[in-house]
Amino acid sequence: MTQPLLEVRDLHTVFSTKEGTVKAVDGVSFDLTPGETLGIVGESGCGKSVTALSVMRLQRPGKIVSGKVMFKGQDLTKLSEYEMREIRGREIAMIFQDPMTSLNPVFQVGWQVGEPTRLHHGWGAKKALASAVNMLSRVGIPSAESRANDYPHQFSGGMRQRAMIAMGLTTTPQVLIADEPTTALDVTIQAQILDLLRHVNREFGTATILITHNLGVVAGMCERIIVMYAGKVVESGPTKDVFAHPTHPYTWSLLRSIPRLDAEKHEPLKPIEGVPPNLADLPTGCAFHPRCVFRVDRCTRDVPALLRVGESQLAACWVTQAGGELTGA
Amino acid sequence: MLAKYIARRFLASVIVVLGVTVITLLLMNSTRGSYVPGIDLNPALRPEDIARLRANLGLDRPFYEWYMSWIWAVLHGDFGRSMIDGSPVMSHILDRLPNTLELTGTAIVIGVLISVPLGVIGALRRGSKTDHVLTVVSVAGFAVPQFWMGLMLILIFSVTLQQHGLPWLPSSGAFSAYAGGDILDRILHLILPATVLSFFYLSVWSRFIRSSMLEVLSQDYIRTARAKGMSERRVVYLHGLRNALIPLITLIGLELPGLVSGGLVVEVVFGWPGIGKLAFERALQYDYSTVMGVTFFATLLVIAGNLLADLLYGVLDPRIRYS
Repeated sequence: MTQPLLEVRDLHTVFSTKEGTVKAVDGVSFDLTPGETLGIVGESGCGKSVTALSVMRLQRPGKIVSGKVMFKGQDLTKLSEYEMREIRGREIAMIFQDPMTSLNPVFQVGWQVGEPTRLHHGWGAKKALASAVNMLSRVGIPSAESRANDYPHQFSGGMRQRAMIAMGLTTTPQVLIADEPTTALDVTIQAQILDLLRHVNREFGTATILITHNLGVVAGMCERIIVMYAGKVVESGPTKDVFAHPTHPYTWSLLRSIPRLDAEKHEPLKPIEGVPPNLADLPTGCAFHPRCVFRVDRCTRDVPALLRVGESQLAACWVTQAGGELTGA
Repeated sequence: MLAKYIARRFLASVIVVLGVTVITLLLMNSTRGSYVPGIDLNPALRPEDIARLRANLGLDRPFYEWYMSWIWAVLHGDFGRSMIDGSPVMSHILDRLPNTLELTGTAIVIGVLISVPLGVIGALRRGSKTDHVLTVVSVAGFAVPQFWMGLMLILIFSVTLQQHGLPWLPSSGAFSAYAGGDILDRILHLILPATVLSFFYLSVWSRFIRSSMLEVLSQDYIRTARAKGMSERRVVYLHGLRNALIPLITLIGLELPGLVSGGLVVEVVFGWPGIGKLAFERALQYDYSTVMGVTFFATLLVIAGNLLADLLYGVLDPRIRYS
């Protein structure tokens, strides 16, 4: 196996709230190898965005309390703010959910897209703008030269997300983190943006972390996925294995809650019962146990570790770790 | 497009000017005073003398006739003469205007220069001791009456310092009679009134910038800016402040008429020979023509200030289009 580009180890990020300390990221570990696309899946509030922001050290007001983020031999959690700025936007770029609000409304698009090269490569305004125009046309913005002088409000949602992607790519980073990049877009535009991300991944060789709650997106994009629940990774593995044989009841329930065109018989969709837990007041044992149909006694007492289950997957579940099957119900 | 917009705004402002001047004249009429205090009681004047005086000044005519002839003259650039001293109203205004511009201009510049950093600091350190202190100071600046603050400053910096034989600041006027025109002398006279006036501006504006900045800093594009790897200073002062200042333009635009009416209270307390003090004194003396002239002038500046603010808005915020 190739050397990982990014290694996240036992990362803990907490927020102080009135209700107490919230463990938004509670011991998350994963690897990202060069050029791959990794999916992070989970419901809203499961900690997937905070995980990504913690990698960038942009988790404020949250605090990283322990763990490592190894990138090119250095631990990002130990870097000074100044050193971290050299990583952000240069080695690791990030694009966000809502392209409507993620661009600054008072600056021209070309100026914003060129900003990372001015900051990191010290390029002059002309050179930066030229590279921005080039990048804008490569991400599929027609007549990029004139559109670069437009302001964000003159762009459509899909165009803005393209501009955001172009902005991330101008410095040819090694990692691109896309946090729900298609959630705020129309369905047809979503497909275009996903196509673009796939294309970027192939053409630039940029390793991509794709954060989404949409399993369909993951299935089409990612070689590997990790599934998060209540701040923890509950399952990880190659996408096709996880989809074919989920080894955590949460993944299993998620897959049964979405419609599938290739289903052999028409089964009614099964929503996951109950609600996501309050992160300030987690259930004892496995956080998923109140909603789990496979629950055994031990689940309410002890927290399961993330261990190998089956050929290629890791799961944090007492049932499957003991050899149990997830079927029926 | 822009020219059309300005033209339409100009037409709309004609109505405003007419409205304001009519109301001013009605208000002055309704006080039923005379342009010379005690003229009706002066035993040396015979009733026919008084009638002749009134006729000379056009005060015997109904107010709408008076108004029509006044506005007609104004439209021809003639603001008439003061009823008190007979000199042209325009020369009174032009005499006082530089003083008012000096005072309010200084106060506005100081207000902006101090309120912007204070507002940003308050927003960046929300909930800290610094923020609480700034809140108290600005609420005080807003709540303390300007005349009281002016009198206290005079008491401390003019009277008490002088009594203790220390260097003191002049309490009234724009310059000393013996040193007229000396720049240092003018600055010394400016300190106290400008302090009172700018304190008021900066307490309002710093609150405003603080809340505007807080809102901007929670926006997604600020997160984008941080993710690009720029310094926090660049994030705050370029990407943040550029957005946070847009609404402040309106606020300052609304303050521009203050350039003319010029903290009237401050001018009176500090005996500052400005437009505000002129209007105040002449209103007490029923000098119709001067008050009307000042009002007309002030209204024009209000309109110009608002228009300027709206146009600036368009420059700062590309999303605004005039139609």
